[in-house]
Amino acid sequence: MQTSDVIKRDGQRPTETFDQAKLHASVLAACLSVRTPEGEALQIADKVCEVVMKWCETKPEITSADLRRKAAEALENHHPEASYLYKHHRLVM
Amino acid sequence: MIASFAIIAFAALIHASFQLSVSMLTLLSGHAIGRRTAHHKLLQFACSFITGVAFMVLLLISFGAFVLQHAFPQDIPLLVWAIAAGLLIGLGVAVWVFYYRHEKGTSLWLPRDVARYLADRTKATKSNAEAFGLGLSSSVGELIFTLAPMAIAALVLTQLEPLWQLIGVALYVLISLGSLLIVYVLIGGGHKLSQIQKWRERNKHFLQFAAGAGLLILGFYIYVEKVISVIMTGGS
Repeated sequence: MQTSDVIKRDGQRPTETFDQAKLHASVLAACLSVRTPEGEALQIADKVCEVVMKWCETKPEITSADLRRKAAEALENHHPEASYLYKHHRLVM
Repeated sequence: MIASFAIIAFAALIHASFQLSVSMLTLLSGHAIGRRTAHHKLLQFACSFITGVAFMVLLLISFGAFVLQHAFPQDIPLLVWAIAAGLLIGLGVAVWVFYYRHEKGTSLWLPRDVARYLADRTKATKSNAEAFGLGLSSSVGELIFTLAPMAIAALVLTQLEPLWQLIGVALYVLISLGSLLIVYVLIGGGHKLSQIQKWRERNKHFLQFAAGAGLLILGFYIYVEKVISVIMTGGS
């Protein structure tokens, strides 16, 4: 399977290889922060990662913004509240 | 005396309507819950943050009142009241124009690099001392807007007796923490952060209007009460 490179926001930080564990941790944190039980949060994070992995399978490069948007879309189907926080966390202040 | 306390309370209420500290407390709580932090520890973080904010507001307003008292030991000149009123009115308009960015969420006027830095610091906060420091810095970060209500409260404080000054400072600090205390109670009561954040987003224009209108009303009141009325009665 091909691994994608993630181009960071505004290109200011160096590009890094896509890290599924990092995505999983961020989705899990979003679910937990809206007080989802841990087991359910883990399941949702697994499903979201699956969708995102499938999406970026054929892409050699993706931007971090696209990655976040795609993950938020997938999360919306499982947990709209967590998806809201995930999408907006940069827009809180 | 009652009018002085009413001005202090109103200025503090305007201070409470500014949102940087609330945003940072929301983010801090979100990251802490996301890291599976125990509930009592989460409340300790929030409490430390609010204590930091309270401490800095207390220091700033006391410092302001101290400086003004020494600068004008007899009476506050009309020019100073006029400048303070102008500051309130100018900031009121500024709040209406650019307090929130014209985008989704509750993005504030802060330069994006500063906002990112504060967000990253909030995420990295893992101890009560760091949360306290974050509270201190959030008060300083919002100073450009809170300066006017604090300056008015400090000016009014200098006209009170020492004991009433202490009560006035305590009143200002307590009321200015109102919005943070509400968020603290909501988090403590188990409310979801997404609900708090959605409420803030839905009502951000109202909060912006209220803060700007409050500054304008206080500015005009100060101008009429402390400048115009004194000139009309032949004072200087």
